[in-house]
Amino acid sequence: MPFFKITLIRSSIGLPKKTQGVLNALGLRKRMATVFKPVNPSTAGQIMRIKELVAVSEVEEALTDAEMRERRRPDPGYYIEKAGIGA
Amino acid sequence: MFGAFRITSPLSGGLLWKIPWRLSTPQKRRQRKRLRLVDNVIQTIDNALKKQNMESTTKLERWKEEMPTEAEMRPKDKYTMFDRKEKRYRKGIHKLPKWTRVSQRINPPGF
Repeated sequence: MPFFKITLIRSSIGLPKKTQGVLNALGLRKRMATVFKPVNPSTAGQIMRIKELVAVSEVEEALTDAEMRERRRPDPGYYIEKAGIGA
Repeated sequence: MFGAFRITSPLSGGLLWKIPWRLSTPQKRRQRKRLRLVDNVIQTIDNALKKQNMESTTKLERWKEEMPTEAEMRPKDKYTMFDRKEKRYRKGIHKLPKWTRVSQRINPPGF
């Protein structure tokens, strides 16, 4: 099931209450926040209201906050050797 | 002499707060970039709905019907907008409040 990945790029400070209401409804509380919403006409209509503020892409899977954080984690630069496998 | 609170003409009081009458070249470039970003969002939503064979939404359909894309727009419409109070009926688009976060693409025909 496809999802819209919606990221808030521009702040809604000083914009009409209606625009801020749409952002609240989508759960976009601050800049660079990302939410996943199912692809359907109702979500499309919501995105149309805030199209100047967000970056949108279509993805197959919705990620949780924890999963997104895990994907941002940098490579630690080391690995732990396990004894007793080959020797 | 330097710094945030230096004495300049606008800060010395009075009504001197100058906004240039036209956009600079980098401002125009960023404006085109923002227009393209909105075009991309529209394209993404449209493709996603079509892929699911879902019916479209009124707002999307009207936008596609009425609004030109960045490539289709005339430079005149990208950087200026209609204003009945201006000489020659045009003013820079940067005079529009929140102009970097609102869509202002079409103007009255003939102006």
